Amino acid sequence: MFTVFWAQWRKERRSPFMLIIFLSLSIVGTVLMSMTTNNKMLIDVFGVPELTTAEETAWIQLLNQSEAYQFKMRAEQPSRDAVREGRADVAIKLSENNYKIISAIESPNVVLVEQHVFHVFAKEMQIREASTHSGDENQFRADVEHNLQRPALTLQTQAWDGNPIVKYDINLQFLFGLTLFLVIYTIGFKVTGVLMEKTTGVWNRVILSPVRKTEMYLGHLIYSFLIGFIQIIIVFLIFHYGFGYQLMEHFDMILVICATYMFTMVAFAMLLAGVMRTPEQFSSLLSATVPIMPMLGGIYVPPGTITNKFILGISELFPLTHAMKALTGVAMFNESLTDVAMPIAKLLFIGVICMGVGINLMERRKA
Amino acid sequence: MLETIELRKVFKGKTAVEEVSLYLEKGESVGLLGPNGAGKSTTISMISSLLLPTSGDVRLNGKSVVKNPQDIRKVLGVVPQEIALYNELSAYENLKFFGRIYKLKGNHLESKIQEVLEMVGLRERQKELIKAFSGGMKRRINIAAALLHDPQIVIMDEPTVGIDPQSRNHILETVRLLNREKGTTVLYTSHYMEEVEQLCNRMYIMDHGQIIASGTQDELRRILSGEDTLLIQLNEPSPELVQELLVLDPVRQVEETESGLKLIVTKQSGILAHVVQVAERLSVQIVNINVYTPSLEDVFLQLTGRKLRD
Repeated sequence: MFTVFWAQWRKERRSPFMLIIFLSLSIVGTVLMSMTTNNKMLIDVFGVPELTTAEETAWIQLLNQSEAYQFKMRAEQPSRDAVREGRADVAIKLSENNYKIISAIESPNVVLVEQHVFHVFAKEMQIREASTHSGDENQFRADVEHNLQRPALTLQTQAWDGNPIVKYDINLQFLFGLTLFLVIYTIGFKVTGVLMEKTTGVWNRVILSPVRKTEMYLGHLIYSFLIGFIQIIIVFLIFHYGFGYQLMEHFDMILVICATYMFTMVAFAMLLAGVMRTPEQFSSLLSATVPIMPMLGGIYVPPGTITNKFILGISELFPLTHAMKALTGVAMFNESLTDVAMPIAKLLFIGVICMGVGINLMERRKA
Repeated sequence: MLETIELRKVFKGKTAVEEVSLYLEKGESVGLLGPNGAGKSTTISMISSLLLPTSGDVRLNGKSVVKNPQDIRKVLGVVPQEIALYNELSAYENLKFFGRIYKLKGNHLESKIQEVLEMVGLRERQKELIKAFSGGMKRRINIAAALLHDPQIVIMDEPTVGIDPQSRNHILETVRLLNREKGTTVLYTSHYMEEVEQLCNRMYIMDHGQIIASGTQDELRRILSGEDTLLIQLNEPSPELVQELLVLDPVRQVEETESGLKLIVTKQSGILAHVVQVAERLSVQIVNINVYTPSLEDVFLQLTGRKLRD
């Protein structure tokens, strides 16, 4: 077994490019996706000619009291062009006491922006209207601010178990999702080694030697497992120490989940190798099936976005779904190993089935 | 030492090998000849225990290999038709890998690697990657990898396909060395008649999955001992002449060659005169006629009705 493992390692040292590429893709992909979630949506605003600069500035300040949007004054024509040409979903036309939404399409963004702008305008109009009856407008505004800081009623929210509600970290989800997704390719292309050796005749040569078949499979599969596992650990360490992601608190459990996932994915790759006859067919099938997993598993969207029962049912077949459930549970919701026992058990179950069927298919084809 | 008894292999209803019985004595060099698709590689796979026969048996020193494959694997070195090497590794690393799987270690492994590299003439280039080697050099390392554990029997499946003359000579020399100086039993398959003629004491001729003839070179030549081969050079091709010659009684076979015709004819006087007469009648000019004793290639043609490399 060690000799087979050694040969794979020597090959890796000669051309480590695939490993480096998928490692880099995990890092770059996560960083890019995190950047998109941290960015505010930029919205162009232009005023009617009668609106003074001071009035425009005042509205912009009010509108920008949002974590999701950034409003910016711009000339009317380029703002309209951007909407017309599809470069922006929406623009705002300001007048002294009113606004207009400029949009060319129906989209959720338009609705959300409209809600925000309406809320800002309604609140400001209410304050203005009320302040005209108070006699001292500035004093009235100061009183409103003061009272808002000490409201008569406060609302407290708690999780179902009495703990404070955890803020869902979508960036951590992206990190887990992309890393687990891209490592499938690394593992897949390593497991192809078995098919490659069968095609070139090296496999038959080893069969004729005293090395047992179990040792041959183990040499390949343990190597594929370790390469994928190391890739995941490297990515997680880079994000912990380089980008400030908090992973060390539960790192031991994260490693256990990732190791289980690696076993399942190696087994899954073995199943594909059992179904296909040549490395080329294997690569085609891998490229065709793997991209579906994160999409159906909801890796790129916040939890709860996918509600279709059929899609949720299919995603149950994918190891990625269960590994994500376990990892986010542990890393974000402080769940224990017992809490995530079910997804881990599902991973192991899928792994055992895939490995059994895969090796069986591969051996049966030979006779 | 090694024998096959009525070996048969059927793939999805199609018979690839039919009732193949052959034997190899210790220290013998035996050729297995046949065109592509004759069933040579399937036979070899069954002999080397890589493929289970549908029926029949392979016996090593009287013991069934089908039941106990480990017995033959210990004493066997197989040189596959394909280049069964790691392209990404050097020649040395490949040999180290194949030595290790046979449990060779340390200085013994090192000396064996150097010995087989010397044998195939690539000692100076052992550090180079296989993917940088020419086809012929790859084939030489392919052979070296099968010799590391000093096998008693070496099976070579068309080891000279598609290579340069220099590598081919090297390979033939290696086989000779193995058989004559080291006493290794060799089963050599090829569709190059001249290689088998040079290397093998005995040979089996296979076609369509069956052994159609076997024996020493002389024994096989005797199949056509009552015949001569005429090589006729013509000024231009003549299909009419072919038709006319086929009608003649002594003419057993007519084959069109690049420069004229090749005839296998029954030994008898007057055949040359007949041929010349027919040619004159059809106004075909004969430039040259050679008469010689049939070669093994002619024997094969006679037995199968086709050339070895068809």
